[in-house]
Amino acid sequence: MSVTKNDRAAKPEYHPVFLHGRREMVFIVLVYLGALLWTVPYCYLYGYPNQAEDFGPDKLETVLGLPSWVFWGVVVPWIAANVVTTFFCFFFMKDDDLGPPHEGADLAEEIAEMQAREEQGR
Amino acid sequence: MSESVLLFPSLVPLFAQTTSNAALYTFVLYTAAVFVVAGFSNKLLQSRSFVSEYFLGSRGLGMWAFALTFAATSASGGSFTGFPSLVYTYGWIVALWIASYMVVPICAMGLLGKRLNHVARISGSITVPDVARDRFHSPGLGVLSMSLIIFFMTVNLVAQFKAGAVILQSLLRDVEIFQSLATIPLFEGVNSQYLVCLLLFAVSVIVYTTYGGFHAVVWTDVLQGFVMVAGVLIMLPLAISQAGGLESASRQLAEMTPPRTGTIKVALTEPAKNAMVIPAGTWLVMPSDRYLDEFQQWKGPEQQRLAQALQRGELTQGQYQRLEQALEKRDDEIKQGPPYRLFRVVHQSVIAQGQTAPRARNGEGQLIEAAIDAVELTTPAQIVDQLEKQRDHALRAAQAQLVDVDNDLAALDSSANEQREQLLRRKEHLNERIAALESKERFHENPLLLNYPFVVSQPQMRDYVTGAHEKGHYVSGPGPHSTEVLGFLPLSLAVSFFFMWAISGAGQPASMVRLMAFKNSITLRRSIFTVAIYYSLIYFPLVVIFVCARVLLPGMEGSADQIMPDAAVFLTHQIGHGWLAGILLAAPFAAVMSTVDSFLLLTSSALVRDVYQRNINPNASEKTIKRLSYLATLLVGTGAAVGAINPPEFLQNIIVYCGSGVAACFLGPIFFAIYWPRTTKQGAILGMLAGFGTHLAMYVLGYFINGSLSRPIWLLGFDPVLVGLAASFLTVWVVSLITPKPPEELVRKYFYKNDDNPAAAQT
Repeated sequence: MSVTKNDRAAKPEYHPVFLHGRREMVFIVLVYLGALLWTVPYCYLYGYPNQAEDFGPDKLETVLGLPSWVFWGVVVPWIAANVVTTFFCFFFMKDDDLGPPHEGADLAEEIAEMQAREEQGR
Repeated sequence: MSESVLLFPSLVPLFAQTTSNAALYTFVLYTAAVFVVAGFSNKLLQSRSFVSEYFLGSRGLGMWAFALTFAATSASGGSFTGFPSLVYTYGWIVALWIASYMVVPICAMGLLGKRLNHVARISGSITVPDVARDRFHSPGLGVLSMSLIIFFMTVNLVAQFKAGAVILQSLLRDVEIFQSLATIPLFEGVNSQYLVCLLLFAVSVIVYTTYGGFHAVVWTDVLQGFVMVAGVLIMLPLAISQAGGLESASRQLAEMTPPRTGTIKVALTEPAKNAMVIPAGTWLVMPSDRYLDEFQQWKGPEQQRLAQALQRGELTQGQYQRLEQALEKRDDEIKQGPPYRLFRVVHQSVIAQGQTAPRARNGEGQLIEAAIDAVELTTPAQIVDQLEKQRDHALRAAQAQLVDVDNDLAALDSSANEQREQLLRRKEHLNERIAALESKERFHENPLLLNYPFVVSQPQMRDYVTGAHEKGHYVSGPGPHSTEVLGFLPLSLAVSFFFMWAISGAGQPASMVRLMAFKNSITLRRSIFTVAIYYSLIYFPLVVIFVCARVLLPGMEGSADQIMPDAAVFLTHQIGHGWLAGILLAAPFAAVMSTVDSFLLLTSSALVRDVYQRNINPNASEKTIKRLSYLATLLVGTGAAVGAINPPEFLQNIIVYCGSGVAACFLGPIFFAIYWPRTTKQGAILGMLAGFGTHLAMYVLGYFINGSLSRPIWLLGFDPVLVGLAASFLTVWVVSLITPKPPEELVRKYFYKNDDNPAAAQT
């Protein structure tokens, strides 16, 4: 079945704020999952020993004074998350016009409905 | 300060005066600044639409205002009291506990921000219940949302007021006039110091919030936001350098074994003329051989007590086994350790006039017969190091007192012979003490000098269930724990917390309101970036600071909530700039204030806008709404403050319950409302109830099964907020699919470009 020009004209278009917002939401969920899958498994594999004494003073590995699992499992993904956030804020997220606020629009609608109901009642 | 305390300089906290002045000046200056901000905000109220300005700042927040109000509101008092105490108590593993703050800004602001602001502009919504009601054209959903917000926020407000008063109390604890309040009964059964702090805190927050509305809250948040980050950035280099570098701090943590907590008996060597005060934080010493003798006498009854606790179900099999093993190992640890054991007094205690038996002060300020709560260090290097620090501390205090005595003698009238004799006796005593403290060798041969005039006996100290006698727990997972067999952060909890901070943070109505208030999408994306940098400058540095504090200030496990003010005073005193402590001490106060003002306004907006204007009188004049708004904010604040005079037990648990419960209710329905056109009002209502019900059920079941409100049921090891959110999301989705499609005009209005959507039509 072919779609005619008139059909296309009749079909309303999604609002760009909704479309952009949805796309950005998917990006954010992926960033969150990426952070989760990096941080928790890494820290668990390298920071949870069978015997805590494996992390005693002679065996502890450090990077810049931090236990190495903290550095690679928390600090590095934290920096990476900030880089991705910067990319998101300045290159991915769209500048949408959110429109003027319609202060009182909801109240006006409600008052109109109330009046309509009162008139119906009469 | 009593004469008896002055006689025994090792017991005097040297930094008290520095703290008192800094804290007092900070509090006065800070409160003055907040009132100035409120005054300016009130001017804005005169020139704009009242309701939108008072509750939403006319949707005109720029980048700094939006970013810092969002950040400051999210960072409650817990960020500067509870969180530091966790880092101090459990070590590096808390870095993983807090790690999801790396994505909190992008998740909590970006996930809903743009669309929620857009939808609120289309409908003209002022509050979160407004959004829910307008989006689905459902007064029922509006009433449900409003009821849940009032329920959670009112309960939470009482708890936050208490938190504010407690923080202020800890800031002013060394101010002399404030100390004298302890003896004046103002309100039966209530600690007078607490009551005065509650009054000061409540009046300042209620006045500026009522008078200035949303803009006052936002601009004080900005002020508070700067105070918080300044506090952290000043403390960070001080903590690292004073701990000898981060590498040294981590190595020392790796060496540490968890302390023991319990009670010791403290008595006077001879009856004293005056009452004797043992301040919190005093270090007391006991010879290891005597400790060993007394431990062997106590070990048998303790083993019996553990076996009985196991039979009664108070201990699990795992806890019992761990504690038994720790008891067995203790003999060897004491024999191989240094010749002295070291205890830190947890609460200020008093030995009454003329008595040799100890008395301890309980939370209500009454004197009761009790042993003294104490923490015992178990790491040999720490014991030796701390003994040396205490020697130095006592020596400096004695030298300072000797100078005072000399001055008094010089100023004495020639006829005051009796007084002169007293002073000369005191001088002789001080000289003897200084001579004994000056020689390291002499002191380490007999460190009991520190105890004078007390004698310590009958230590009844209990080991941690996880980590006792083992090194490495403070630099690895799951971290030590005094009661939990699985340690501080088992894997399932690590996943839960990673989810909780980032995702449930987005579901807080106080945050949602701010998402409805920014000016445009440029503001949003710049603010997300700003908050990302802001949180990076706060949360991980706090972990580093309090890891270092663990090295610098050992033995504070019994009063870890005090670690922030104590560390602030210690770090600044060490560099000779005690006044800086004022700025650092203001940070926790600023954090709790910025949370309370937001909750206060959120609750009053629910009453005025959602109860009165939307359900009772939509035609109310602006003048009426204005009066009601001031009145509601004033009444809600006053009510919460009155509730906090004698707050219910389990208050901290209530804060946790409310914070997670509100997210479980709101995130699912609001998320679907703005991103899924097919969502129906039935789906949203049932989703909200499912989140509320599931979350509540896990707490109620936890109370009956585990016997405590703080131990809810953990389904598959996951926190109730995760389960509540899952139930809510699933319910909204399923119910929306099986109920009739939502009205076409609503979907067109909020999702499509068309003439019904005035905002879209202009795009």
